[in-house]
Amino acid sequence: MRYFEYFEPKSVGEACQFLNEHEEAKILGGGVSLVVLLKNGLITPSHLVNIKTIPGLARIEWDDREGLTIGGLNHHRDILLSPLIQRHCPILAEAASKIATPPIRNLGTIGGNVAHAEPSADFPPALIALNASLMLTSPGRERKVPIEEFFTDYYENILGQGEILTRIDVPPLPPRSAGTYIKLDKITNSIAIVGVASVIGFDEKGICIYAGVGLGGVASTPLNVKGAKDILVGEKITETHIDKIAKEAQAMANPITNVHASAEYRKEMVYVLTRRALQGSLDKALGR
Amino acid sequence: MVKQEIQLDVNGKSYSISVFPQETLLEVLRENLGLIGTKEGCSEGECGVCTVLLDGLPVRSCLLLAVDVRGGKITTIEGLSEKGVLHPIQKAFIEHGAIQCGFCTPGMILSAKALLDGNPFPSEEEIRIGLSGNLCRCTGYIKIFKAVQGAAL
Repeated sequence: MRYFEYFEPKSVGEACQFLNEHEEAKILGGGVSLVVLLKNGLITPSHLVNIKTIPGLARIEWDDREGLTIGGLNHHRDILLSPLIQRHCPILAEAASKIATPPIRNLGTIGGNVAHAEPSADFPPALIALNASLMLTSPGRERKVPIEEFFTDYYENILGQGEILTRIDVPPLPPRSAGTYIKLDKITNSIAIVGVASVIGFDEKGICIYAGVGLGGVASTPLNVKGAKDILVGEKITETHIDKIAKEAQAMANPITNVHASAEYRKEMVYVLTRRALQGSLDKALGR
Repeated sequence: MVKQEIQLDVNGKSYSISVFPQETLLEVLRENLGLIGTKEGCSEGECGVCTVLLDGLPVRSCLLLAVDVRGGKITTIEGLSEKGVLHPIQKAFIEHGAIQCGFCTPGMILSAKALLDGNPFPSEEEIRIGLSGNLCRCTGYIKIFKAVQGAAL
């Protein structure tokens, strides 16, 4: 690894200020992706800013009106084991369980997983399906952005100079709702060839009142299948609806061929897995 | 190039050492402290031979910068035996023939320890998940799972 200097901020303000003044500095969260990039010389920062020294950036809280708040520094393990997440957003625990292995889940953070902007990452599709927002903090300013607006390209995001992803907010779901995250991988919990998350919610009459579908691994960024909401909300869900959304997901997908899978295969599988994810959420929500 | 003074608690002993920010915990354990039971394999977090416990949980020492340990308690394979008596998991690995070349064994045993500390009677599925971060290229895992089951009894 090439030499860099190391800084431990005491507050978010101090971290933002430091990042503002040092253009070549990088944020150190869990480090599981960052340290590999450093070792391979893919990035050569002047400084690492260890935000784990800032108190309060790891917390999982629930509010009946606001929903779930997850700190950027919560580890994948925290997400997997949190009773609040199990109760209110179990799809996030499902996604966490499919990330790598325990020693990685004990170090890696949800903020890092999102901010790294790896298009195959497992949390973003689930967070998209949950309609989550990200809190981005910079000196004297906070902005809340819908998660799908965060990603701009392979490993690229909208974070500006001196800006930190501090928090993830997930609005409350209807009481009768369920989610499913399906990951296609060659070896269990290796990088997703395709990842599909779906969340569906119903009223007492079985009419759909919430729908979200997120995709990973099939474009330069995670994708939001926005049509899911238009097709499903207000309807009693049938096979025809599911097929329509799966076709829309397939049409949106613009995957590449790489060592893990061909573009053609990904494009076929996103259709199959979107159907399965929706059917899975439907069965869970309706107690089947 | 500025070195940082850090305090490390390894196997119950306190060390005060100066390190460069880019040195990993793995490098410091092996090269500064001479604790060579922790191995270096892929050095990218995939293989698990560098696994140590940080506050009781398995982590990759190859992906953890030494400056980032920040007061956490580290346990390496050297910290498991007491007064020359092997830990029950170490004994179980020997009894079940769960060792061939031995290179993955420290990481396997530490992952098994973390698993059993949190879940004294794991199912085979839970053992498989608990050890999923540790690759073995010799034994084929079955004897390793049996050793962990044996240590749990």
